[in-house]
Amino acid sequence: MLNYPIYPLPAVVGHEDCKQALLIALVNRKAGGLLIGGRKGTAKSVLARSIQDFLCERKFITLPLNVTEDMLFGSIDIEYAVSMGERRFSPGLLARATDNILYIDEANLLRPELLTAVLDSNSAGFNQVERDGISFRHDVRTTVLATMNPDEGTLPGHILDRFGMYVDMQSLDEESERILIMKRVLEYGRDGHAFRKKFTEEIDELQNKISRAQSLLPSVELSDAMLMLAATMCTAAYCAGHRAEIYLLEAAKAIAALAGRSYVLPKDVEEAAIYVLPHRMRKPPEPEQGEEEQDENEESQDNETEENDEEQNDAEENLPPPPPQLEQDDNEDCKDDDEEDESDEDDEQEEIPPQNNQLAPEEQIFDIDRNFKLPKMLIDMGKDQKPRRGSGKRSVTRTDLKQGRYVRAELLVSEVTDLAFDATIRAAAPYQRMREANGCALNIKKEDLRQKVREKRIGNTFLFAVDASGSMGARERMRAVKGAIFYMLQEAYQKRDRVGMLAFRRKQAEVLLPISRSVDLAQKCLAKLPTGGKTPLADGLALSLQILLQQTKYDAELEPILILVTDGRANATQEGEKDPVESAVKIAEKINKAGITSVVIDTEADFIKLGVAKKIAKAMGANYFSLQKLSRDNLIHIVKNMGV
Amino acid sequence: MKRTAVYPFTGIVGQEAMKLSLILNVINPALGGVLIKGEKGTAKSTAVRALAELLPAMNIVTGCRFHCNPYDTNNLCDECAEKFRAEGVLPVTTAKMRVVELPVSATEDRVVGTLDIEHAIKHGEKKFEPGILALANRNILYVDEINLLDDHVVDVLLDAAAMGVNTVEREGVSYSHPARFVLVGTMNPEEGDIRPQLLDRFGLSVVVTGEHEPNLRVEVIKRRLAYELDADKFIQQFQSEQDALAVKITAAQKLLPEVIISDKLLAVVAKIAIELGVDGHRADITVIKTALTVAAYNGRKEVEVSDLKQAAKLVLPHRMRRRPFEEGELDWQKVESFIDEAL
Repeated sequence: MLNYPIYPLPAVVGHEDCKQALLIALVNRKAGGLLIGGRKGTAKSVLARSIQDFLCERKFITLPLNVTEDMLFGSIDIEYAVSMGERRFSPGLLARATDNILYIDEANLLRPELLTAVLDSNSAGFNQVERDGISFRHDVRTTVLATMNPDEGTLPGHILDRFGMYVDMQSLDEESERILIMKRVLEYGRDGHAFRKKFTEEIDELQNKISRAQSLLPSVELSDAMLMLAATMCTAAYCAGHRAEIYLLEAAKAIAALAGRSYVLPKDVEEAAIYVLPHRMRKPPEPEQGEEEQDENEESQDNETEENDEEQNDAEENLPPPPPQLEQDDNEDCKDDDEEDESDEDDEQEEIPPQNNQLAPEEQIFDIDRNFKLPKMLIDMGKDQKPRRGSGKRSVTRTDLKQGRYVRAELLVSEVTDLAFDATIRAAAPYQRMREANGCALNIKKEDLRQKVREKRIGNTFLFAVDASGSMGARERMRAVKGAIFYMLQEAYQKRDRVGMLAFRRKQAEVLLPISRSVDLAQKCLAKLPTGGKTPLADGLALSLQILLQQTKYDAELEPILILVTDGRANATQEGEKDPVESAVKIAEKINKAGITSVVIDTEADFIKLGVAKKIAKAMGANYFSLQKLSRDNLIHIVKNMGV
Repeated sequence: MKRTAVYPFTGIVGQEAMKLSLILNVINPALGGVLIKGEKGTAKSTAVRALAELLPAMNIVTGCRFHCNPYDTNNLCDECAEKFRAEGVLPVTTAKMRVVELPVSATEDRVVGTLDIEHAIKHGEKKFEPGILALANRNILYVDEINLLDDHVVDVLLDAAAMGVNTVEREGVSYSHPARFVLVGTMNPEEGDIRPQLLDRFGLSVVVTGEHEPNLRVEVIKRRLAYELDADKFIQQFQSEQDALAVKITAAQKLLPEVIISDKLLAVVAKIAIELGVDGHRADITVIKTALTVAAYNGRKEVEVSDLKQAAKLVLPHRMRRRPFEEGELDWQKVESFIDEAL
């Protein structure tokens, strides 16, 4: 077996919080395991793997991203079935992980349904298998240890909630620390075993500490006052459900045991809160207030929490919310009051490049408002059973190519195109003693054949049609628009969507970026996009339609989504048309007929609203949102195939 | 079968950064591979394939599916470990390091390995059939157009690259084996970028462009024509250069463990990393490792400032773009003057 020298936990510089959380997880399984978040190269995996020194009889089971369901949950024992003609359960990873440590590297890249199933059966305490003619139930009691890099998309709240503890890792910025890290890693790279020897004492010491805490744990007592404290903290953090209290108290017990005490002190609970609460804290329910005051409102509430419990707030700031830098900056920069907030914005305004000589006089380029908050996009695809091709992460779809991830096997429908050998063998195995011998150990009949079902997450294709006319430039509107699009692009990156972009202004619409997977380029186009001139809305829509029709011809598997961003002030006509709005509506109807899913983001903010964008949206059968409202809603709910 | 002729590595005109980065990875496989960015027709694939000819021979366990190193007993596959326990010694043979190609269309099961179907049907037993990652152990894993690779294949690749171990839990088999490889990827940036996470796994990166000097362009064409006319003769012409380079690489490999770096230079690297605000610590560590390797390649036992600069230029550029969309241009002059000031 591989006997590679493990990088010792005490040799990791800094990250005391993560080390403590690891110890808690090792001492008390009921603390609910640990999720380590952090950007690349911050020693997440190094720390997680370093606990292999402190397992005490337990095993460190790795759950690789390539895992298939049969191996995870368990299945029929093929060898036994062939030789004995009986079905017997062959345990999967979950069974092997019981009373051991289950390690998932990059957990956010694992298929979410598998991750949920693992965490669920662990909290339920058992795994029920019903497959390959086997019905079996076994206990699951494992400590889940996982890492994730939030840049690749965070886990949804309900999955986060199933982890007892969360720690965020940052890179260290002290020069002396960085030098120490380099020296240690170099030394380790030269001779891992010699390096480990230098830390033998510290490793032994930690091992003793853990063993002592483990034996002390059952006798650690919790007073009613501690229960009360935990409940108060969880209420203050607006935690959903009662998992939080349990994890909080169990973690506090482990902390007390690690400190060699058989009773829990308030400071233990407070320390436990650092690990248990950050990923399950919620925003308080929002009281009804005017739109403009919304932001300040949130901030003052932040301040309240800060007064209540500083540590909690620290922890909250440490947890990168999905789109990480957007919200965090807000929290840090504008902690005090809105004055600072405003001055901040003023600074940013000054950074807007002065009108460039190359631009027409009425044009200007707005930068991207990177603090624009936009709710998560949710695309409701309905059940998509039509086989598709493509690559991406947003929508799950079946694929008929032999390329997606093999998720399960099914009975043959017609011909074999993609035989699931393992499932076929499992199906055939129990009958071998009854079938005549054919020289092989397995005599496979047609009824045994199973087909692979593969699944692939295809990204969606988004075409952004952006109104870049002069009216959009008014009152910084373009900055907000760019911010909104930037946000969507960021989502598109995480989901591996394909994007294209066109802008319409002055006399015509032009393609800025043909549909491609390079979300990066789209962002660059966006940054450079100038504003100014009239609004040839109809032309913009016509070009969108043309691009999308071409795209579907070229690749019928893709179902593109058109995102139209406009204030609807159409005032430039196509040749032969008189009313700019009328002609826009006409083309919008065509887009609807072509069955293209669309979204209209209305940026009209003037006092007197004309409501043209809404009209267009109606004609297009589009999901309609107003930009103003977007920053308040929780979700952009894009319903696909509205017409169907 | 006659082996197909391979264009000699030393016959490639220019592209010094690319050639250096490949050589450094051969000398020190722990550097973490190289990402070669460039337009089509810039000798990216030619260079990687040509590299194979230069690669030194290594000791392997006879008959091992993962070409285990018989003298690195901490890093053996299950079968070799078993044999070592039983017999105390492993049969040794030598083989050249190889370039293993991962085609963009590869499926997950082919990459990580799967159930040996033939064995299962014939004998009714489960057995692991190794995949591309097994072939790649201790070799070079070459992914042409890595930006077009399917997402879930990238995920399993990252998984193995991070651990140095390929853990397989699929289709009835549960198996793990060593998978330490030098990852070499090429991409054309016009066709979309790769994820920062994958980017960060590459130790070095180089950007190749076509030569702009007319004389050099002529030389490129001349050589290509000469090669196509008579490959054997062309290869012959470069034989002595090829041999000299191979000797230099072997010498550098021997020297590498003895190369040292002063605390002063370590501090400079830490300062640069803080100044540039790179993510994590992989950048610092890789700069140092690369500087040590450059020094070894230059036949020195201590890292000099010029080695450090050369290393920084190969390691830092692709780490500047920390988040998706961030503009990440490395201002090399700034870094260089920073190094000079710090000393």
